Amino acid sequence: MTARSPRLLIVDDELHVRESLSAWFTEDGYDVSTASGGKEALAVLGRQKFDVVITDIRMPGMDGIELQRHIHETEPEIAIILVTAYASVSTAVEALKEGAYDYLVKPFDPEEMSRVVEKACEKVHLREENVSLKERINGSRPEMIVGTSRAMQRVLDLVDSVAPTEATVLIRGESGTGKELVARQIHARGPRSFGPMVAVNCGALPEGVLESELFGHEKGSFTGATALRKGKLELADGGTLFLDEIGEISPRVQVDLLRALEDKKIIRVGGTQEVPVDFRVVCATNRDLEEAIREGSFREDLYYRINVFQINLPPLRERPEDILPIAEHFLKKFAHSMGRRVEKFSPEARDLLLKYPWPGNVRELANAVERALVVCHEGEILPKYLPIIARSTSAAFGGPSDDLSLQAIEHQHILKVLEMSEFNVTHAAKSLGIDRVTLYNKMRKYSIERP
Amino acid sequence: MRDPWCVELVRIGAVLPVMLRVLREDLAGVLAHPVWIAPEHVDPAPAFDPSRQQYLVSALMETLLAKPREAGVFIIGVTDVDLFLPVFTHVFGTAQLGGPVGVASEYRLRPEHSGDPSDAGLLRRRLLKEVLHELGHTLGLVHCKASWCAMSPSRLPEQIDLKDAAFCSACAKHTGVPDNSLVSIHSWEGEKK
Ligand SMILES: Nc1ncnc2c1ncn2[C@@H]1O[C@H](COP(=O)(O)OP(=O)(O)OP(=O)(O)O)[C@@H](O)[C@H]1O
Ligand SMILES: [Mg+2]
Ligand SMILES: [Zn+2]
Ligand SMILES: [Zn+2]
Repeated sequence: MTARSPRLLIVDDELHVRESLSAWFTEDGYDVSTASGGKEALAVLGRQKFDVVITDIRMPGMDGIELQRHIHETEPEIAIILVTAYASVSTAVEALKEGAYDYLVKPFDPEEMSRVVEKACEKVHLREENVSLKERINGSRPEMIVGTSRAMQRVLDLVDSVAPTEATVLIRGESGTGKELVARQIHARGPRSFGPMVAVNCGALPEGVLESELFGHEKGSFTGATALRKGKLELADGGTLFLDEIGEISPRVQVDLLRALEDKKIIRVGGTQEVPVDFRVVCATNRDLEEAIREGSFREDLYYRINVFQINLPPLRERPEDILPIAEHFLKKFAHSMGRRVEKFSPEARDLLLKYPWPGNVRELANAVERALVVCHEGEILPKYLPIIARSTSAAFGGPSDDLSLQAIEHQHILKVLEMSEFNVTHAAKSLGIDRVTLYNKMRKYSIERP
Repeated sequence: MRDPWCVELVRIGAVLPVMLRVLREDLAGVLAHPVWIAPEHVDPAPAFDPSRQQYLVSALMETLLAKPREAGVFIIGVTDVDLFLPVFTHVFGTAQLGGPVGVASEYRLRPEHSGDPSDAGLLRRRLLKEVLHELGHTLGLVHCKASWCAMSPSRLPEQIDLKDAAFCSACAKHTGVPDNSLVSIHSWEGEKK
């Protein structure tokens, strides 16, 4: 872990909000500063480096959304959490589209707020750690891939055979199936394991930010670009570049990326000079790229460039033999880190785990086990500690239903989980094993509104 | 070394007097510093917010701060009402960091609140840990990384159950409280940053 405390900037025009949040996060060990408006915030940001900014959306003068744009122009790696007193799915989607890390509604649930901020800091630190010296020297030791099913054994064989080569790999699979985990294995067991592994989540950033994130920018290339910044392609030099959610890249950035991959050279935004780069490429997507090509939203030439060697991760429901070994793996891991002595699942709980279709795949399973462990008072996990699964296996998946399409089940399931969490989107997303942006998008797709 | 200090518990609202007495016993056992119960009783009514149907914890803190007090006395109000701060949906308690007062409520710690059967023993342990936690803040401690230390943050009552009713060695040392953590089976010193 890094030695310094995470730095937090709180921006709100109301004094009592600044005071409450500042006291709260100081107790939590953060290094906290405050600003009463957008202008003051930018001045503070100019003097000191911050990891996370929490800003109110509605403020006189510069509002939170505008402030976010200014910050991201120069420092796209700062995680920004927007705060509003008005709960609406559409504001959330807008803010997240603009590149905010997350969104909180006043008054805050202390648990939710702390978790969102912790996650934001983790993300910032992970990103820094990706390129840290430590990792260059030790090589990263990624977590174990658990799975005894034939399908997973095949995946492990493929990883074994492709890792030692320099080949470009495309990893496909639903959300939460372990794409990033596999990518890290490939890096760790490849010839570049002594170089950095640099990950870019292409789906999470708006076009302009992604561009400067990938290629970097020259000093003065746009208002606010006060210093030269190296992009991720340059930082990956000598190591592996992991392009997550590659299917989400806009057509314009696709062109630039293809050129960089072909020429092994980049030009920083606002620059003219070519910079040579040398890295291995691993991509991941849960989108149907072939369909995207037919629709015209994904370039065929880029597709052929990245699709050299494919690894398909099957959804968890198609490999039920893996459910219990993975559940036990997480039970052991979380029990150890929480200092708990819970060693097994009761037979009824095991049954439940096996019956549930796990739409959020391994991530959902990991979250369910972690939650069960927090609330479990006994020496073993009982069904009552897996409430969401217990209820939905009997309701959504056992009851009569005429529409058995995957979409209909997803719609029903999301609605059910939202109802059970009283429309707390953060909790529901965690139970579902997806992030909040994905959940908001799915809510829009199925026209689910908060009551 | 820190100057001698002691703790005064103030009953706010309808929290049972017997609860306060066992709390005093439990706390004195952990701290090995004097703990007593203030003779007066505070009515929380002026802190009630009708629109939220909750009590504003900062108003209760001000009432406690207005009490005459001597140096080295840390005042912790103990109550049964649901507490809030305007920016939060609720708080279990709160304290001035390094300051002399704190408040803790049993309201959300009751097992009934999360739909479990009522359990006086569990509530007693939770309240002890919550009061110890707020007292730790008044003594200048921030949140601790040792998951079992009373100073590790809890956002859910079940997370309080995972903690011990004691400070870890580092937190104990800072406050001048006997180090009970050695009694516990593992030493997590390495986790403290
Ligand atoms: N076979 C496995 N064994 C152990 N842990 C696994 C396995 N598969 C996934 N995990 C864990 O599950 C979580 C989700 O995996 P990961 O982030 O790699 O999924 P992903 O496919 O990248 O999802 P998304 O598309 O949503 O980004 C991680 O914590 C990962 O370590
Ligand atoms: Mg991923
Ligand atoms: Zn605290
Ligand atoms: Zn501690």
